[in-house]
Amino acid sequence: MSPPIDARRLGKRFRRDWVLRDCTLTIPEGAIVGLTGANAAGKSALLSLAAGLLAPSEGSIEVLGRDPLREPAVLAEVGYVAQGAPLYRSFTVAETTEYARRTNSCWDEELVADVLTRIASRTKVGSLSAGERARLALALALGKRPRLVLLDEPFAGLDPLAGREFLQLLMDGVAETAATVVIASHVIADIERVCDHIVLLTGGGVRLEGDVEELLDSHRILMGPRRPLGSIRGVRSIVRERYSGRQLTLLVRSDGPIFDPSWTVERVGLEELLLAYMAPERMPVPVPPERLPLRWHG
Amino acid sequence: MIEFHLDPRSGVATYLQIVQQVKEALRLGTISVGDQLPTVREVVADLAINPNTVAKAYRDLEREGLVVARQGRGTFVASTLAPAASLPHYEALRAELERWLETAEGAGLDEESIRALISATLREMLARRVA
Amino acid sequence: MAWVTWRQHRPQLVAGLGLLVALAVAAFATRLPIQAAYHRDALSDCLPPTSRSGCDIIVRHFQSEFDSWVAALRGLAVLPALAGVFVGAPLLARELEHGTHRFAWTQGVTRRRWLLSKTALLAAAVIAGGAVASAIVMWWRSPFDTLQGRMAPSGFDVEGLVVPAYALFALATGVFAGLVYRRTVAAMTATLVAFASTRFLVLKFLRPHFLAPLHNTVIATDTARTTGDWVLSDVLVDAGGRRITAGREDLAVLHAQHAGIDPHTYLVTLGWKRVIAYQPAGRFWTFQLMEAGLFVALAVAVVLVTLWLVRRTPT
Repeated sequence: MSPPIDARRLGKRFRRDWVLRDCTLTIPEGAIVGLTGANAAGKSALLSLAAGLLAPSEGSIEVLGRDPLREPAVLAEVGYVAQGAPLYRSFTVAETTEYARRTNSCWDEELVADVLTRIASRTKVGSLSAGERARLALALALGKRPRLVLLDEPFAGLDPLAGREFLQLLMDGVAETAATVVIASHVIADIERVCDHIVLLTGGGVRLEGDVEELLDSHRILMGPRRPLGSIRGVRSIVRERYSGRQLTLLVRSDGPIFDPSWTVERVGLEELLLAYMAPERMPVPVPPERLPLRWHG
Repeated sequence: MIEFHLDPRSGVATYLQIVQQVKEALRLGTISVGDQLPTVREVVADLAINPNTVAKAYRDLEREGLVVARQGRGTFVASTLAPAASLPHYEALRAELERWLETAEGAGLDEESIRALISATLREMLARRVA
Repeated sequence: MAWVTWRQHRPQLVAGLGLLVALAVAAFATRLPIQAAYHRDALSDCLPPTSRSGCDIIVRHFQSEFDSWVAALRGLAVLPALAGVFVGAPLLARELEHGTHRFAWTQGVTRRRWLLSKTALLAAAVIAGGAVASAIVMWWRSPFDTLQGRMAPSGFDVEGLVVPAYALFALATGVFAGLVYRRTVAAMTATLVAFASTRFLVLKFLRPHFLAPLHNTVIATDTARTTGDWVLSDVLVDAGGRRITAGREDLAVLHAQHAGIDPHTYLVTLGWKRVIAYQPAGRFWTFQLMEAGLFVALAVAVVLVTLWLVRRTPT
């Protein structure tokens, strides 16, 4: 079975700026993937390439085993919501779903209706609130019962209640269709709740990628007195070093349990972990992407 | 019917929280044999969490023999929990634990190291049972 | 895609229909006085080949009475351009400008099929509209066509097969401009310019030569005009066949005035003649076919280029 997204040395350039460069990653099937990174990191470009809206400048990308540019028919199985959820503002809600119904061979009326509860079908799209528009775009993406769902910054402009509602409907739709989901968001808290897989982009490249649980299990925060560092048993590499007075704080990649009594060892939260990888403080150049083996026994 | 709640800041994995809440409900008698657990869809639509997480929790419960999944119909409670340890057992175990903790402190372990040692050892023991 | 095309272009199609209805109503309303004058002056007797005395004056009177209306009709030549500017240009330009192509092109219809279906359906509507407009104008102009012919641009451009052909070409140009400019206003402007220039170039340089023009040599004083034909040029030549410049002509007229001779007679004695190059009225349908064919071929070429380009557009 082909992975939902398979990118090999993917690169995209606009005029002279490389938005993505040498990007290799595979999205596992059935995962809910958080695609995160700073604002110009290349998240939108990656999703646009997957949705067949852009052509790669170098490298390749395959979606469900097919090239979305050469075989655009694969897009019938991909639900894509662009940034800002662009829709026809003069159409009513009913006309918009009609449009999607007529341009997709597979259509699940019930699922669409579930997502669109409490939205009057005669309302014009232009007069919907941000939360309702996001829900409509989600309904259209899920209505074709896709195998892959791509969402580009879906929480932008949504208040916390609308954001929670969106997430509930998305998860319900995923439970129903068993789709793989990729959510691009630069707000990590929004996706921390649901993602089981993370891809972190910095400057157009993959900085970190892996299963969330394994990432959290394999990183630790070490605190102790400031001293010259030798190798610490159980620590594979140091991700971030910080000094404050006489205290030294390390964020490390571990390859075994750390029982060194001269350090206080704590688990790290996902947001802090990602921020540490995003910050250039301790990034050697060039940066090899950190990718985890599938299993290790702690 | 159980209603789950999630505490994202507790440090406990989501699927474990679900498992714990099912066991609590069994212990308290909120649910009993034959009751249906909420479907995966119902749980995620309520909590906005990953369906895989719920599935994993239900699988764990099934492995422990507490629930059974009936294809196409849902997940149902299969058995109650073993009765809690009797009070004298509890006291004996507590005293033994206190003695062990004093030994560990004397060896120089701090609180975090002790917790890490206990949870790692417990995890390994459970993992050996499953394998 | 039929429902999609209808719903997305409903305002334009309804406006187009309204325009045709207005045109029909105006044509009908203005035709009544023409009909009345026609019968009053018994113009049917004056239609070639029949003739009677005084016809000349009656015909001229009739024509001058409705001259302004006939001239106004030339304004209808702008109608086909509307198909390009208001239907063709927004098709792609508005999608790209508002980003809705990110929605439209990620459904189960490929970009090419989406574009081809929409263009084909709108082309059918635009051709039908052009045909109806052409029919209305032909009906309205029939007395004038008989009297002064329709080979000249004032009649040729608004009748027959060319009107739907122009509309189709305008539509194709508009769609292409929308893809190139990606902004609605810019695309509309570019469409208008491209359409007008093409029409002008064809009219000025190609149409006069679709078939070799005929020539008529008459004596210098012959002022009778050949009716119905499209006169391309009307020049004075001397006995040796050389073209006479305005300066030379003025000189001769002055000479005649000094000598007290009637200038026209003088030119005749000089052996000067008028050479008229023209396209005969009988070639109307041939030329219509050729020009319509040309514009249809252009339209098809533009559509093919657009279809090829749309796949390669970065968005």
